[in-house]
This record gives sequence, structure tokens and C-alpha cells, in this order.
Amino acid sequence: MRSALVYEWRRLWSVRSTWVMSLLYVVMAIILGAVPLYLDSGAKQSWIGLYSSSGNLLCLIMLSVVAAQTFGHEYRYGLIRLTLSEFPKRERVMIAKTVILAFYVAIMTIVGWSVLGAVGATKPSRMSADVVGFSMSGSGLPHLWQVPVFGFAYCIIAMSVTVLTRNLALGVILPLLSATLIESLITGFASLAKGRWDWLVHILPFNNASAWMDQSTELHFAGLIFASWVIGFYFLATLRFHLRDA
Amino acid sequence: MRVEVNGLDKHFRKVHAVKDLSFAVEPGRVTGFLGPNGSGKSTSMRLMLGLDNGAGSTLFDGKSLTGHKSVTRVVGAHLDAKFFHPKRTAYAHLRMLGAESRVSKARVNEVLQLVGLESVAKKRPGGFSLGMGQRLGLAGAILADPQVLILDEPANGLDPQSIQWMRDFLRFYASQGRSVLVSSHLLSEMQLLADDVVVIARGSLIAAESMNTFLARSSGSSVKVRTNNVRKLAEALNAEGLALSVNAQEELRIPNVTTDQVGDIAFRSGVALLELTAETASLESVFLELTESGQEYRVGVPQSAIGGVQ
Repeated sequence: MRSALVYEWRRLWSVRSTWVMSLLYVVMAIILGAVPLYLDSGAKQSWIGLYSSSGNLLCLIMLSVVAAQTFGHEYRYGLIRLTLSEFPKRERVMIAKTVILAFYVAIMTIVGWSVLGAVGATKPSRMSADVVGFSMSGSGLPHLWQVPVFGFAYCIIAMSVTVLTRNLALGVILPLLSATLIESLITGFASLAKGRWDWLVHILPFNNASAWMDQSTELHFAGLIFASWVIGFYFLATLRFHLRDA
Repeated sequence: MRVEVNGLDKHFRKVHAVKDLSFAVEPGRVTGFLGPNGSGKSTSMRLMLGLDNGAGSTLFDGKSLTGHKSVTRVVGAHLDAKFFHPKRTAYAHLRMLGAESRVSKARVNEVLQLVGLESVAKKRPGGFSLGMGQRLGLAGAILADPQVLILDEPANGLDPQSIQWMRDFLRFYASQGRSVLVSSHLLSEMQLLADDVVVIARGSLIAAESMNTFLARSSGSSVKVRTNNVRKLAEALNAEGLALSVNAQEELRIPNVTTDQVGDIAFRSGVALLELTAETASLESVFLELTESGQEYRVGVPQSAIGGVQ
């Protein structure tokens, strides 16, 4: 298993696009942090709120590109055949990719927080008490773990879509479209149907993810429903990966 | 290490691509894998490596690939000259491939030097020629010094010097007791390289035997003779019950006979010989004879070649 992890680690960091996406992630975190901080507003900023809300989606795009590349590059360039001729036990490849992706998301989250903390340090008068990076306390802190978990879950969906479609671009675009457009449209249409389609709105993955992140009580079992979607995608992708010719 | 292929079988929807294919690749020998386009060679190689799902098994020293501790020490595969990320340097590509068997950086450099890519080791292979891609693929296959090499058309795109280098390299590799299975369309090259041949057509096995046995299957081996007294020699040969033909240059061709036999008959007849040559069948001619009916994709005949142009 160790060799499969080393293989995947080397694969990840030996292409320029991983470095480019990681750098863009950091730049995006700086911009997301700096813009509200320097806007002329009396309100104080909470980094957890910023980092875990809609602004974070821009950072997530960078992560999801790397996640989609996990399998996307392998299929696009035929490398999957080299990989599987070295590791014929496919479950090892799947596990190694998942573990390294989780590790990558964890690293980038820590980097993102550090960057936000550094940006916040330039305007300490504008920071609220629960600012991550200044004082690790406050109302947002108990839910801090949700940020990397959601990031990882989003990446798992991007990776799974790539495996199912064997298309890197779809792996990035479909989750993004679903999170930003498709679910909003479905919610909009459902509101016109006088409650007949509410059940559909209640099971949409990113609606539930958003409710879970915001601690909203509007949707019941939001975290569980989102987790079911993620596990479902991952299960289908694993099955497809095992049964399909390389 | 002996490789035993047992009953490989693969369907692509309605197409039966590989049909109950069984053969062996012996250690210390180079085995040529031949067949027309679409005959199932590449599919068979993928099945052997477990890349495609299908029936049958491939045993490496009596065990399946998954039963070995380090797969890359057992088998090295080169299936396509373009299986690399165009932006990952050749060096990084090999470092990545070396992870399974913990290949050292020194070994990566050694292999790059061996295949002649050391000067472009830090370059991205997106701009590599087909021949350079083949070298990089071969470098990946031999990186962990495996006991078995499986190579799919490794000579495509190589210049004559590189082809000769590859031939020498593969023969040397096999001479160390390792097994080499190599597919190629370059039949003249294969005749020089391979000790054994496996021939398939339309997914079915046509032959799996030594190169010499395979060549002996031909109906085309004959002896060519030139003499000043064609009539006398022809009569003597006919008297011995041998069939012959004479061409416009008055050269005699006697099929299925040895030069010793013809020389002896000529001596006894008192006929002086100007030339006595054994014409053995080429791999190409035997291959074409045996696979003629098994071609998946037949070529058309240009109209001008059959008198279509007036």
C-alpha cells in the first residue's frame, strides 16, 4: 500500500497543473480575505464565516480541478494502463488516490487558513473575536472541521464524476453547475409547484451541504443526506473502476 | 520466468475479439506475437496484464500477477508510445513508475542513459517524436529489471539504428534467462529477433512454435539453379521425380528439395552448375499464407493496378 501512496504522491506533484491550481487557491484565499477587509464597512469580519460560505466555492473549484485530474489525466493520456500494470489490485489504486486527495485537501485547507490569518493580521481592527488565525476560539470554532470535510466531500464527487464519465472537464463542471445553477433552478421550479416537489428540494446534495455548513435547521438530516450522495457517487465510481476495461 | 497463457477470451459486445487463446512464453527466448491489424494482439496483451476484464488466466512462474509481491519486478510492459503525461518530465515519469519497486534515482538515470534519453531527461515529453516516446516507454518497462517484458509494437517509429539497438537489447535481455514477448508488424525485423512465434488471426491462435518450425510450414521453400545445360539437368531432375519450373532467365526452381540433393543429381548427370541457392521462405511469406483468410480489415486494390485507368 505504501508504494501505491508514493506513486500517487509523485503523480500528483509532478505535473505543473497541480502547482498552478494550488497557487491559484492561495491567491483566491488572499483576494477573498483582503477584499471584505479593506471595503469601507463598519462590520467586523469572521474568517470562518467567509471561508465556509459561498466565497469558498471559488477556492473549491481549484481543489476540484486537482481532484478531477486524479483520474482525468490517467484516462486522457492512457496512463491508467501503466498504473494498473504496476498495481493490478485496483482497490489499492482507488484507496491510494482517495487518501492522497484527502491529504492534499487537508494541506490546502491549512494553507488557506494560514493565508487568511496573515491577511487578517494586516487589519486587526476589523477582525471579530472568532477569527481563525488570531484566536482559536469563538462561536465558529466548533464547526471548523466542517470546512475541510466539505472540501474533501466536494472533491470526492468531482473525482467520482471523472471516473464515471472518463472526462476531466465534466468532473469539474458537473458538480460546479449542480452547486451553483442546477439546484437553484430545481428549487425555483419546485416553489412554483405548490409544495408537490418539496421532497426533491430536500434531497438535493448541495442544498443539504449548504444547510449543514450553515447549521441551518430548515433541512432535517442535511449532513446525512449530503454524506449519502457523496458515498453513493464514490461507490458507483469504485464499482465502475473495478468492472471497466482500463 | 515462464509465462503461461490459458484460455484468454474476450468479447466487445458482438465482436469476439480473443477466442480461447493459449500459449507460453519461455524464459531465455524472444517470442514474437504476430497477427494482422485487429487480430486481437493488443487486447490479448491487456488481458495478460489484467487491464481488460475477460476469461482465462495468465500465470507468471505459476502464479497470477496479483500473487507476486512486487509486480514490476515480475513484468514490465510497454503498450503504447504515447502513454505519458505531456507535461511531466521524462525523469519525473520514470520516478513515478519506479515507486512500486522503490527504484533509486541512480537507476532512473541509468535507464535514461541506456535508452539514449539522458539529454532530454528534464524535458517534457509532449514534444517527443514517436521514436523518443517508444524509448521512454521501453525505459519504463525495464526500470525495475523485470523477469518478463511485454512490448506492443515497440519498434514503430524507430530509425534503423534504434531498431538494431532494440533488437540487440532484447536479445541480450532474453539471453539472461528472461522472457520477452514482443508484437510487431515489421516481419523482417521479427525474423531476425524472435526465437519463437505466436500467430493469431481474428482472435484465434494460428501457430505457437519456434521460428524455424514456423518457417518450415511454408510451401515456398525451394532451390534455385543456374546452369548452361538447362535441358539436361531438367531431364535428370524429372527422372528423380522432382517437379521444377524454369523462368525467362532460364533459372530452374525446384520446390521442397535441398541443395545437397540437387548438387548430387547435377554431379551424377555431368552438368556444371553456375549457381545453387537455397531459397528459404521469409517470415512474411509464411505469415501471409497462414493469415490470408484471417484478416479483419482487408485493403482495396487501386483501380490503376487492375487496368481501371485507360
